[in-house]
Amino acid sequence: MMEIVGNIIIGIGLVFMAFGVLGLYKFKDFYLRLLVLAKIDTVGAITFMVGIIIRHGFSFFSLKVFLIMVLFLILNPLTAHIIARTAYLSIEGITQDQDDGRGGR
Amino acid sequence: MQVPVFWILLAFMFLYLIRAIQGPTIWDRLLAMSLISVKVIVLIIAIASFYNRGYLLDYALLYSLFGFISVIFIAFFILDRTRGKK
Amino acid sequence: MIYVLLIFWITSAILAIQARKLIRIIVYLAIFSTISAVCFFMFGAPDVAMAEVAVSSFSTVFMIVCFEKYFTLVTDVSPDAPKDLKFRYKLSKILPPVVFTLILAGLFIYFIPEGTVNTYLKDLYLERFRFDVGGENAVTSIYLGFRVYDTLFEALMLLISVVGVAHMSCRSEHEISGENFSGVTKSDSVDVYTIRIICPAMLIFGMYLVLNGHVSAGGGFQGGIAIASFFICRYLIYNVYDVRYGKIMSFEKMTFAAIALLASLFIFLGFYVQFPQIRTAYLISMNMLIAMKVSFGFIIIFYRYIAFERR
Repeated sequence: MMEIVGNIIIGIGLVFMAFGVLGLYKFKDFYLRLLVLAKIDTVGAITFMVGIIIRHGFSFFSLKVFLIMVLFLILNPLTAHIIARTAYLSIEGITQDQDDGRGGR
Repeated sequence: MQVPVFWILLAFMFLYLIRAIQGPTIWDRLLAMSLISVKVIVLIIAIASFYNRGYLLDYALLYSLFGFISVIFIAFFILDRTRGKK
Repeated sequence: MIYVLLIFWITSAILAIQARKLIRIIVYLAIFSTISAVCFFMFGAPDVAMAEVAVSSFSTVFMIVCFEKYFTLVTDVSPDAPKDLKFRYKLSKILPPVVFTLILAGLFIYFIPEGTVNTYLKDLYLERFRFDVGGENAVTSIYLGFRVYDTLFEALMLLISVVGVAHMSCRSEHEISGENFSGVTKSDSVDVYTIRIICPAMLIFGMYLVLNGHVSAGGGFQGGIAIASFFICRYLIYNVYDVRYGKIMSFEKMTFAAIALLASLFIFLGFYVQFPQIRTAYLISMNMLIAMKVSFGFIIIFYRYIAFERR
Protein backbone atom coordinates (compact mmCIF):
# COMPACT_ATOMS: atom_id res chain seq x y z
CA MET A 1 0.00 0.00 0.00
CA MET A 2 2.70 2.45 1.05
CA GLU A 3 4.71 1.51 -2.02
CA ILE A 4 1.85 2.43 -4.35
CA VAL A 5 1.37 5.79 -2.62
CA GLY A 6 5.11 6.42 -2.84
CA ASN A 7 5.17 5.56 -6.52
CA ILE A 8 2.30 7.96 -7.20
CA ILE A 9 4.13 10.78 -5.39
CA ILE A 10 7.33 10.00 -7.34
CA GLY A 11 5.26 10.30 -10.53
CA ILE A 12 3.94 13.69 -9.39
CA GLY A 13 7.53 14.85 -8.84
CA LEU A 14 8.45 13.77 -12.35
CA VAL A 15 5.47 15.72 -13.69
CA PHE A 16 6.73 18.84 -11.89
CA MET A 17 10.15 18.38 -13.48
CA ALA A 18 8.52 17.97 -16.88
CA PHE A 19 6.79 21.33 -16.38
CA GLY A 20 10.22 22.73 -15.68
CA VAL A 21 11.56 21.41 -18.97
CA LEU A 22 8.56 22.93 -20.76
CA GLY A 23 9.27 26.28 -19.15
CA LEU A 24 12.94 26.08 -20.06
CA TYR A 25 11.96 26.03 -23.72
CA LYS A 26 8.92 28.29 -23.63
CA PHE A 27 10.31 31.32 -21.80
CA LYS A 28 12.17 33.78 -23.96
CA ASP A 29 14.07 35.67 -21.26
CA PHE A 30 16.93 34.42 -19.15
CA TYR A 31 15.53 35.63 -15.85
CA LEU A 32 12.28 33.82 -16.56
CA ARG A 33 14.19 30.64 -17.28
CA LEU A 34 15.86 30.97 -13.91
CA LEU A 35 12.46 30.26 -12.35
CA VAL A 36 12.88 26.65 -13.48
CA LEU A 37 15.89 26.11 -11.22
CA ALA A 38 14.71 28.24 -8.33
CA LYS A 39 11.19 26.97 -7.81
CA ILE A 40 9.96 24.27 -10.14
CA ASP A 41 12.97 21.95 -10.01
CA THR A 42 13.30 22.31 -6.24
CA VAL A 43 9.66 21.38 -5.81
CA GLY A 44 10.02 18.45 -8.20
CA ALA A 45 13.11 17.03 -6.50
CA ILE A 46 11.61 17.45 -3.03
CA THR A 47 8.39 15.71 -4.10
CA PHE A 48 10.48 12.89 -5.57
CA MET A 49 12.38 12.48 -2.29
CA VAL A 50 9.17 12.54 -0.25
CA GLY A 51 7.88 9.72 -2.42
CA ILE A 52 11.04 7.71 -1.79
CA ILE A 53 10.78 8.32 1.97
CA ILE A 54 7.18 7.05 1.91
CA ARG A 55 8.29 4.00 -0.12
CA HIS A 56 10.91 3.03 2.44
CA GLY A 57 9.07 3.80 5.62
CA PHE A 58 10.84 4.89 8.79
CA SER A 59 14.50 3.77 8.60
CA PHE A 60 18.07 5.02 8.42
CA PHE A 61 17.83 5.19 4.65
CA SER A 62 14.92 7.61 4.76
CA LEU A 63 16.72 9.68 7.41
CA LYS A 64 19.61 10.18 4.99
CA VAL A 65 17.22 11.07 2.18
CA PHE A 66 15.60 13.58 4.53
CA LEU A 67 19.01 15.12 5.21
CA ILE A 68 19.63 15.47 1.48
CA MET A 69 16.18 17.02 1.14
CA VAL A 70 16.93 19.68 3.75
CA LEU A 71 20.26 20.48 2.08
CA PHE A 72 18.48 20.70 -1.24
CA LEU A 73 15.90 23.08 0.13
CA ILE A 74 18.72 25.38 1.30
CA LEU A 75 21.16 25.08 -1.57
CA ASN A 76 19.07 25.02 -4.72
CA PRO A 77 17.39 28.45 -4.40
CA LEU A 78 20.75 29.84 -3.26
CA THR A 79 22.37 28.59 -6.45
CA ALA A 80 19.65 30.29 -8.47
CA HIS A 81 20.18 33.46 -6.43
CA ILE A 82 23.92 33.48 -7.13
CA ILE A 83 23.44 32.90 -10.86
CA ALA A 84 20.83 35.67 -11.03
CA ARG A 85 22.97 38.12 -9.07
CA THR A 86 26.12 37.55 -11.11
CA ALA A 87 24.13 37.71 -14.35
CA TYR A 88 22.56 40.98 -13.26
CA LEU A 89 25.91 42.50 -12.31
CA SER A 90 27.41 41.62 -15.70
CA ILE A 91 24.54 43.01 -17.71
CA GLU A 92 26.63 43.49 -20.81
CA GLY A 93 27.96 39.98 -20.51
CA ILE A 94 24.51 38.58 -21.12
CA THR A 95 24.29 39.84 -24.65
CA GLN A 96 27.89 39.25 -25.72
CA ASP A 97 28.11 35.53 -26.12
CA GLN A 98 28.40 35.20 -29.88
CA ASP A 99 31.13 32.86 -31.02
CA ASP A 100 33.24 34.91 -33.39
CA GLY A 101 35.50 31.97 -34.22
CA ARG A 102 38.55 33.73 -32.95
CA GLY A 103 38.98 32.31 -29.50
CA GLY A 104 40.16 34.26 -26.54
CA ARG A 105 38.16 34.70 -23.43
CA MET B 1 8.23 1.48 -12.03
CA GLN B 2 12.02 1.46 -12.06
CA VAL B 3 12.91 1.57 -15.72
CA PRO B 4 10.51 4.39 -16.77
CA VAL B 5 11.82 6.67 -14.02
CA PHE B 6 15.40 6.25 -15.23
CA TRP B 7 14.43 6.84 -18.84
CA ILE B 8 12.40 9.94 -18.00
CA LEU B 9 15.32 11.39 -16.01
CA LEU B 10 17.70 10.65 -18.88
CA ALA B 11 15.31 12.38 -21.30
CA PHE B 12 15.30 15.44 -19.03
CA MET B 13 19.10 15.42 -18.99
CA PHE B 14 19.12 15.24 -22.79
CA LEU B 15 16.80 18.26 -23.08
CA TYR B 16 18.95 20.24 -20.63
CA LEU B 17 22.01 19.32 -22.65
CA ILE B 18 20.35 20.75 -25.77
CA ARG B 19 19.66 23.96 -23.82
CA ALA B 20 23.33 24.02 -22.82
CA ILE B 21 24.34 23.72 -26.47
CA GLN B 22 21.99 26.31 -27.97
CA GLY B 23 21.60 28.61 -24.98
CA PRO B 24 21.95 32.17 -26.20
CA THR B 25 23.93 33.40 -23.19
CA ILE B 26 26.60 31.91 -20.98
CA TRP B 27 24.25 32.08 -18.00
CA ASP B 28 21.85 29.72 -19.75
CA ARG B 29 24.62 27.19 -20.00
CA LEU B 30 25.41 27.58 -16.32
CA LEU B 31 21.71 27.15 -15.55
CA ALA B 32 21.60 23.97 -17.63
CA MET B 33 24.69 22.68 -15.82
CA SER B 34 23.13 23.14 -12.38
CA LEU B 35 19.88 21.56 -13.61
CA ILE B 36 21.85 18.54 -14.86
CA SER B 37 23.55 18.17 -11.48
CA VAL B 38 20.12 18.25 -9.78
CA LYS B 39 18.95 15.49 -12.11
CA VAL B 40 22.08 13.48 -11.33
CA ILE B 41 21.36 13.71 -7.61
CA VAL B 42 17.79 12.55 -8.16
CA LEU B 43 19.01 9.71 -10.38
CA ILE B 44 21.45 8.52 -7.71
CA ILE B 45 18.72 8.56 -5.06
CA ALA B 46 16.42 6.62 -7.38
CA ILE B 47 19.08 3.97 -8.02
CA ALA B 48 19.87 3.69 -4.31
CA SER B 49 16.20 3.27 -3.50
CA PHE B 50 15.23 0.84 -6.24
CA TYR B 51 18.22 -1.48 -5.83
CA ASN B 52 18.47 -1.12 -2.02
CA ARG B 53 22.01 0.22 -1.90
CA GLY B 54 22.18 2.61 1.01
CA TYR B 55 25.81 3.56 0.59
CA LEU B 56 25.06 5.37 -2.66
CA LEU B 57 23.37 8.17 -0.73
CA ASP B 58 26.79 9.49 0.29
CA TYR B 59 27.32 10.43 -3.33
CA ALA B 60 24.13 12.44 -3.41
CA LEU B 61 25.29 14.39 -0.35
CA LEU B 62 28.73 14.97 -1.83
CA TYR B 63 27.21 16.04 -5.14
CA SER B 64 24.86 18.54 -3.56
CA LEU B 65 27.67 20.12 -1.52
CA PHE B 66 30.39 20.23 -4.15
CA GLY B 67 28.12 21.15 -7.04
CA PHE B 68 27.07 24.20 -5.05
CA ILE B 69 30.68 25.30 -4.47
CA SER B 70 31.61 24.78 -8.11
CA VAL B 71 28.62 26.82 -9.28
CA ILE B 72 29.64 29.66 -6.95
CA PHE B 73 33.21 29.73 -8.25
CA ILE B 74 32.28 29.42 -11.91
CA ALA B 75 29.68 32.19 -11.62
CA PHE B 76 32.12 34.57 -9.91
CA PHE B 77 34.79 33.76 -12.45
CA ILE B 78 32.49 34.41 -15.42
CA LEU B 79 31.38 37.66 -13.81
CA ASP B 80 35.02 38.66 -13.47
CA ARG B 81 35.78 37.97 -17.13
CA THR B 82 32.67 39.54 -18.65
CA ARG B 83 33.17 42.67 -16.62
CA GLY B 84 36.83 43.12 -17.44
CA LYS B 85 36.12 42.66 -21.13
CA LYS B 86 34.41 45.97 -21.99
CA MET C 1 20.47 3.03 -20.08
CA ILE C 2 24.20 3.05 -19.48
CA TYR C 3 24.85 3.48 -23.20
CA VAL C 4 22.71 6.62 -23.28
CA LEU C 5 24.81 7.99 -20.41
CA LEU C 6 27.95 7.16 -22.36
CA ILE C 7 26.61 9.05 -25.37
CA PHE C 8 25.96 12.08 -23.13
CA TRP C 9 29.48 11.75 -21.77
CA ILE C 10 31.08 11.78 -25.22
CA THR C 11 28.82 14.64 -26.34
CA SER C 12 29.82 16.85 -23.44
CA ALA C 13 33.49 16.01 -23.99
CA ILE C 14 33.23 17.05 -27.65
CA LEU C 15 31.44 20.26 -26.58
CA ALA C 16 34.24 21.08 -24.16
CA ILE C 17 36.85 20.49 -26.85
CA GLN C 18 35.27 22.44 -29.68
CA ALA C 19 34.30 25.53 -27.69
CA ARG C 20 36.56 28.51 -28.33
CA LYS C 21 35.81 30.78 -25.40
CA LEU C 22 37.26 30.08 -21.99
CA ILE C 23 34.06 30.77 -20.08
CA ARG C 24 32.18 28.28 -22.25
CA ILE C 25 34.88 25.66 -21.82
CA ILE C 26 34.52 25.92 -18.05
CA VAL C 27 30.78 25.30 -18.09
CA TYR C 28 31.05 22.41 -20.53
CA LEU C 29 33.87 20.94 -18.44
CA ALA C 30 31.64 21.08 -15.37
CA ILE C 31 28.88 19.23 -17.27
CA PHE C 32 31.45 16.69 -18.44
CA SER C 33 32.75 15.95 -14.97
CA THR C 34 29.22 15.71 -13.56
CA ILE C 35 28.21 13.10 -16.14
CA SER C 36 31.52 11.25 -15.93
CA ALA C 37 31.09 10.71 -12.19
CA VAL C 38 27.71 9.07 -12.83
CA CYS C 39 29.27 6.87 -15.49
CA PHE C 40 32.04 5.82 -13.09
CA PHE C 41 29.66 4.66 -10.43
CA MET C 42 27.35 2.95 -12.91
CA PHE C 43 30.35 0.93 -14.07
CA GLY C 44 31.05 -0.16 -10.50
CA ALA C 45 33.86 2.15 -9.39
CA PRO C 46 32.31 4.05 -6.46
CA ASP C 47 35.53 5.34 -4.94
CA VAL C 48 36.73 6.74 -8.24
CA ALA C 49 33.36 8.41 -8.75
CA MET C 50 33.59 10.07 -5.36
CA ALA C 51 37.10 11.32 -6.09
CA GLU C 52 35.92 12.63 -9.47
CA VAL C 53 33.08 14.59 -7.86
CA ALA C 54 35.42 16.00 -5.27
CA VAL C 55 38.24 16.92 -7.64
CA SER C 56 36.15 18.28 -10.50
CA SER C 57 34.70 21.16 -8.55
CA PHE C 58 38.18 22.32 -7.50
CA SER C 59 40.31 21.35 -10.45
CA THR C 60 38.18 23.42 -12.79
CA VAL C 61 38.75 26.53 -10.69
CA PHE C 62 42.47 25.89 -10.38
CA MET C 63 42.88 25.28 -14.10
CA ILE C 64 40.92 28.40 -14.95
CA VAL C 65 42.98 30.71 -12.81
CA CYS C 66 46.21 29.08 -13.94
CA PHE C 67 45.34 29.42 -17.64
CA GLU C 68 44.31 33.00 -17.19
CA LYS C 69 47.63 33.81 -15.64
CA TYR C 70 50.12 32.03 -17.80
CA PHE C 71 48.52 31.41 -21.15
CA THR C 72 46.11 33.07 -23.56
CA LEU C 73 44.22 31.10 -26.16
CA VAL C 74 45.07 32.26 -29.67
CA THR C 75 44.33 30.53 -32.95
CA ASP C 76 46.80 30.94 -35.77
CA VAL C 77 44.16 31.17 -38.52
CA SER C 78 43.30 34.77 -39.29
CA PRO C 79 39.53 35.20 -39.66
CA ASP C 80 39.67 37.06 -42.99
CA ALA C 81 41.65 34.37 -44.80
CA PRO C 82 40.02 32.89 -47.92
CA LYS C 83 37.64 30.07 -47.20
CA ASP C 84 39.39 27.55 -49.42
CA LEU C 85 42.70 28.04 -47.68
CA LYS C 86 41.00 27.79 -44.33
CA PHE C 87 39.38 24.50 -45.28
CA ARG C 88 42.60 23.05 -46.60
CA TYR C 89 44.43 24.20 -43.54
CA LYS C 90 41.84 22.54 -41.32
CA LEU C 91 41.98 19.37 -43.41
CA SER C 92 45.76 19.20 -43.20
CA LYS C 93 45.45 19.56 -39.46
CA ILE C 94 42.69 17.03 -38.97
CA LEU C 95 43.51 14.33 -41.50
CA PRO C 96 46.79 12.87 -40.19
CA PRO C 97 45.51 12.22 -36.65
CA VAL C 98 42.29 10.73 -38.01
CA VAL C 99 44.21 8.36 -40.30
CA PHE C 100 46.58 7.41 -37.51
CA THR C 101 43.70 6.74 -35.10
CA LEU C 102 41.85 4.63 -37.68
CA ILE C 103 44.96 2.54 -38.34
CA LEU C 104 45.48 2.03 -34.61
CA ALA C 105 41.83 1.10 -34.07
CA GLY C 106 42.02 -1.39 -36.92
CA LEU C 107 45.13 -2.94 -35.45
CA PHE C 108 43.57 -3.24 -31.99
CA ILE C 109 40.37 -4.73 -33.35
CA TYR C 110 42.27 -7.16 -35.56
CA PHE C 111 44.58 -8.40 -32.84
CA ILE C 112 42.04 -9.07 -30.10
CA PRO C 113 43.49 -11.71 -27.78
CA GLU C 114 41.56 -14.93 -27.88
CA GLY C 115 40.36 -16.85 -24.89
CA THR C 116 39.45 -15.53 -21.46
CA VAL C 117 41.26 -12.62 -19.88
CA ASN C 118 43.63 -13.51 -17.10
CA THR C 119 42.13 -12.18 -13.84
CA TYR C 120 44.46 -13.97 -11.47
CA LEU C 121 45.50 -10.89 -9.50
CA LYS C 122 41.96 -9.55 -9.11
CA ASP C 123 40.70 -12.91 -7.86
CA LEU C 124 43.56 -13.15 -5.40
CA TYR C 125 42.89 -9.67 -4.02
CA LEU C 126 39.16 -10.18 -3.71
CA GLU C 127 39.65 -13.55 -2.05
CA ARG C 128 42.25 -12.60 0.50
CA PHE C 129 41.84 -8.92 1.40
CA ARG C 130 39.79 -9.64 4.53
CA PHE C 131 42.41 -11.95 5.98
CA ASP C 132 45.54 -10.17 4.83
CA VAL C 133 44.69 -6.52 5.44
CA GLY C 134 41.27 -6.27 7.07
CA GLY C 135 38.41 -3.87 6.60
CA GLU C 136 35.35 -4.29 4.39
CA ASN C 137 36.25 -2.06 1.44
CA ALA C 138 38.50 -3.86 -1.01
CA VAL C 139 39.78 -0.60 -2.50
CA THR C 140 41.00 0.66 0.87
CA SER C 141 42.76 -2.59 1.66
CA ILE C 142 44.42 -2.53 -1.74
CA TYR C 143 45.76 1.00 -1.49
CA LEU C 144 46.78 0.68 2.15
CA GLY C 145 47.91 -2.94 2.15
CA PHE C 146 48.81 -4.58 -1.10
CA ARG C 147 49.82 -1.47 -3.00
CA VAL C 148 51.13 0.81 -0.30
CA TYR C 149 54.04 1.87 -2.51
CA ASP C 150 51.54 3.54 -4.84
CA THR C 151 50.05 5.51 -1.96
CA LEU C 152 53.46 6.68 -0.82
CA PHE C 153 54.34 7.77 -4.32
CA GLU C 154 51.06 9.66 -4.76
CA ALA C 155 51.62 11.46 -1.48
CA LEU C 156 55.09 12.41 -2.68
CA MET C 157 53.63 13.67 -5.97
CA LEU C 158 51.15 15.89 -4.15
CA LEU C 159 53.93 17.23 -1.92
CA ILE C 160 56.11 18.05 -4.93
CA SER C 161 53.26 19.77 -6.77
CA VAL C 162 52.42 21.88 -3.71
CA VAL C 163 56.05 22.91 -3.31
CA GLY C 164 56.22 23.73 -7.02
CA VAL C 165 53.10 25.89 -6.88
CA ALA C 166 54.41 27.70 -3.84
CA HIS C 167 57.76 28.47 -5.42
CA MET C 168 56.52 29.44 -8.87
CA SER C 169 54.00 32.07 -7.85
CA CYS C 170 55.62 35.44 -8.14
CA ARG C 171 54.43 37.67 -5.30
CA SER C 172 55.90 37.31 -1.87
CA GLU C 173 53.89 36.73 1.25
CA HIS C 174 54.98 40.02 2.77
CA GLU C 175 53.48 41.90 -0.16
CA ILE C 176 49.89 40.76 0.32
CA SER C 177 49.57 40.63 4.09
CA GLY C 178 46.59 42.60 5.32
CA GLU C 179 45.28 43.19 1.82
CA ASN C 180 41.58 42.76 1.15
CA PHE C 181 40.74 40.48 -1.75
CA SER C 182 37.09 41.24 -2.07
CA GLY C 183 37.20 42.51 -5.64
CA VAL C 184 34.39 41.15 -7.74
CA THR C 185 33.88 38.04 -5.68
CA LYS C 186 32.27 40.00 -2.89
CA SER C 187 29.54 37.88 -1.41
CA ASP C 188 26.29 39.42 -0.30
CA SER C 189 24.59 38.66 2.96
CA VAL C 190 22.36 35.83 1.70
CA ASP C 191 25.33 33.82 0.44
CA VAL C 192 27.34 34.39 3.58
CA TYR C 193 24.48 33.48 5.88
CA THR C 194 23.70 30.23 4.08
CA ILE C 195 27.32 29.19 3.65
CA ARG C 196 27.75 29.67 7.38
CA ILE C 197 24.93 27.22 7.93
CA ILE C 198 26.25 24.51 5.61
CA CYS C 199 29.95 24.83 6.52
CA PRO C 200 29.76 22.49 9.55
CA ALA C 201 27.89 19.98 7.40
CA MET C 202 30.90 19.82 5.09
CA LEU C 203 33.35 19.33 7.95
CA ILE C 204 31.27 16.60 9.60
CA PHE C 205 30.65 14.87 6.30
CA GLY C 206 34.37 14.86 5.51
CA MET C 207 35.14 13.34 8.89
CA TYR C 208 32.47 10.72 8.30
CA LEU C 209 34.04 9.83 4.96
CA VAL C 210 37.49 9.51 6.53
CA LEU C 211 36.44 7.44 9.53
CA ASN C 212 34.20 5.17 7.45
CA GLY C 213 36.74 4.73 4.67
CA HIS C 214 37.61 1.14 5.50
CA VAL C 215 33.97 0.04 5.73
CA SER C 216 32.14 1.76 2.89
CA ALA C 217 33.09 3.93 -0.07
CA GLY C 218 35.20 6.95 0.69
CA GLY C 219 38.64 7.24 2.18
CA GLY C 220 41.43 9.62 2.87
CA PHE C 221 41.54 11.54 -0.38
CA GLN C 222 37.80 12.22 -0.71
CA GLY C 223 37.37 13.11 2.94
CA GLY C 224 40.44 15.32 2.79
CA ILE C 225 38.99 17.35 -0.05
CA ALA C 226 35.68 17.68 1.81
CA ILE C 227 37.56 19.03 4.83
CA ALA C 228 39.56 21.38 2.60
CA SER C 229 36.31 22.71 1.13
CA PHE C 230 35.34 23.81 4.65
CA PHE C 231 38.38 26.08 4.75
CA ILE C 232 37.76 27.26 1.21
CA CYS C 233 34.24 28.33 2.20
CA ARG C 234 35.92 30.36 4.88
CA TYR C 235 37.44 32.44 2.10
CA LEU C 236 34.00 32.98 0.62
CA ILE C 237 32.68 34.21 3.95
CA TYR C 238 35.43 36.57 5.09
CA ASN C 239 37.16 37.48 1.80
CA VAL C 240 40.53 37.92 3.47
CA TYR C 241 43.83 36.11 3.28
CA ASP C 242 44.94 35.45 6.82
CA VAL C 243 46.15 31.88 6.63
CA ARG C 244 49.38 31.02 8.39
CA TYR C 245 51.02 29.87 5.24
CA GLY C 246 54.40 28.60 6.38
CA LYS C 247 52.92 26.67 9.27
CA ILE C 248 50.54 24.77 7.00
CA MET C 249 53.41 24.04 4.66
CA SER C 250 55.58 22.54 7.38
CA PHE C 251 52.59 20.63 8.76
CA GLU C 252 52.09 19.05 5.37
CA LYS C 253 55.70 17.91 5.19
CA MET C 254 55.44 16.47 8.69
CA THR C 255 52.30 14.56 7.72
CA PHE C 256 54.10 13.06 4.76
CA ALA C 257 56.88 11.92 7.05
CA ALA C 258 54.32 10.40 9.39
CA ILE C 259 52.65 8.53 6.50
CA ALA C 260 55.97 7.12 5.35
CA LEU C 261 56.94 6.16 8.90
CA LEU C 262 53.65 4.42 9.69
CA ALA C 263 53.55 2.53 6.40
CA SER C 264 57.13 1.35 6.71
CA LEU C 265 56.57 0.30 10.35
CA PHE C 266 53.50 -1.73 9.59
CA ILE C 267 54.09 -3.15 6.14
CA PHE C 268 57.83 -3.43 5.71
CA LEU C 269 58.85 -4.31 9.27
CA GLY C 270 56.10 -6.88 9.58
CA PHE C 271 54.00 -5.46 12.44
CA TYR C 272 51.06 -6.49 10.38
CA VAL C 273 51.68 -10.18 10.80
CA GLN C 274 52.62 -9.91 14.46
CA PHE C 275 49.70 -7.85 15.76
CA PRO C 276 46.54 -8.66 13.81
CA GLN C 277 44.31 -6.96 16.39
CA ILE C 278 45.45 -3.40 15.53
CA ARG C 279 44.83 -3.65 11.79
CA THR C 280 41.68 -1.54 11.91
CA ALA C 281 43.52 1.10 13.92
CA TYR C 282 46.21 1.13 11.25
CA LEU C 283 43.66 1.63 8.46
CA ILE C 284 41.85 4.44 10.26
CA SER C 285 45.02 6.30 11.27
CA MET C 286 46.46 5.97 7.76
CA ASN C 287 43.23 7.37 6.29
CA MET C 288 43.29 10.25 8.76
CA LEU C 289 46.91 11.11 7.95
CA ILE C 290 46.19 11.04 4.21
CA ALA C 291 43.13 13.25 4.74
CA MET C 292 45.20 15.78 6.72
CA LYS C 293 47.88 15.85 4.04
CA VAL C 294 45.42 16.24 1.17
CA SER C 295 43.46 18.99 2.90
CA PHE C 296 46.62 20.94 3.77
CA GLY C 297 47.85 20.60 0.19
CA PHE C 298 44.56 21.77 -1.28
CA ILE C 299 44.34 24.73 1.09
CA ILE C 300 47.84 25.82 0.07
CA ILE C 301 47.15 25.48 -3.65
CA PHE C 302 43.80 27.27 -3.38
CA TYR C 303 45.08 30.25 -1.43
CA ARG C 304 48.14 30.53 -3.65
CA TYR C 305 46.02 30.66 -6.77
CA ILE C 306 43.26 32.86 -5.43
CA ALA C 307 45.28 35.34 -3.38
CA PHE C 308 48.77 35.36 -4.80
CA GLU C 309 48.01 35.15 -8.49
CA ARG C 310 45.29 37.79 -8.48
CA ARG C 311 46.05 40.79 -10.58
